[in-house]
Amino acid sequence: MLPTAEEAAQALRDIALVKHRAAGFQDYQAESGQLILWGLAYVAGFVLTACFRDYILPIWIAVVLVALTMGIRLARRSGAGAEVAWRYIGVIGTFLLFGLALNLVFWPLSPEQSAMLAPMFLAALYLLRGIQLRPRYTVIGLVLGTLCLVGYLFLLPVFWAWMALACGGTLILSGLWLRSG
Amino acid sequence: MQTPDEIIHQPVRLKIMAALNTLDAGQWLEFVALRSIVQATDGNLGAHLATLESAGYVLLKKDFAARKPRTRACLSRAGREAFHRYVIALQAILAPQNLDADAWDSKRDRGE
Repeated sequence: MLPTAEEAAQALRDIALVKHRAAGFQDYQAESGQLILWGLAYVAGFVLTACFRDYILPIWIAVVLVALTMGIRLARRSGAGAEVAWRYIGVIGTFLLFGLALNLVFWPLSPEQSAMLAPMFLAALYLLRGIQLRPRYTVIGLVLGTLCLVGYLFLLPVFWAWMALACGGTLILSGLWLRSG
Repeated sequence: MQTPDEIIHQPVRLKIMAALNTLDAGQWLEFVALRSIVQATDGNLGAHLATLESAGYVLLKKDFAARKPRTRACLSRAGREAFHRYVIALQAILAPQNLDADAWDSKRDRGE
């Protein structure tokens, strides 16, 4: 028997809804691996910074390069095309240029102030992405930004250890949260 | 006017087909992920997947990942074509004057 127009319209609405849900699910899955990876990178970076304050620059160069290489491999494995490497380098390059530009504008910055730039930028990006696309990103941006700011304003004596937890830990937990579906 | 496929025209099976249709060819979706997208119970989803598999619309693969049993699903070529025909049939019901049988045939021939 032929469905009525109302039934047909409802079926098409169901299809659109599932399509949207599936896209969100796949997006969260792809993002979760990256969040965990960069969370681990931040934990390693901040812990090493806390231990070897005189080697901040080489520590972070090494951390970013290792995470960048692994991130590209992860993105390729999740089904992204070969061009993802350039997009990935573009995104990380934008982060680095943003940090460099702010350093130039506000120079001199303390190491703690410099360390706040990337997490705050990341938090703002997730907030914007969440507002426009998917609600969980808003929560991630809010938690990340708030915890990092609290550390800078109130916990400077234990700043590096706090950032390992607040930034790295938040990203890792966020990745696990997105993975849970 | 083309009658929509009765196998697909069931709410849970329609959602399964719609979810699997979002995947690229050769890409599989895990049972737990599909359950979360379709929002069905294990038993319900399993039963409808079996129906779709019997119809040749869905391929199921069972294996182990980290020593845990894993079931994955994807649309077969026939399933993808059937879903495409189903959507066109629904659109024809909503706008029969714009999508008569000839238009449907020409769309199918173009592989849209």
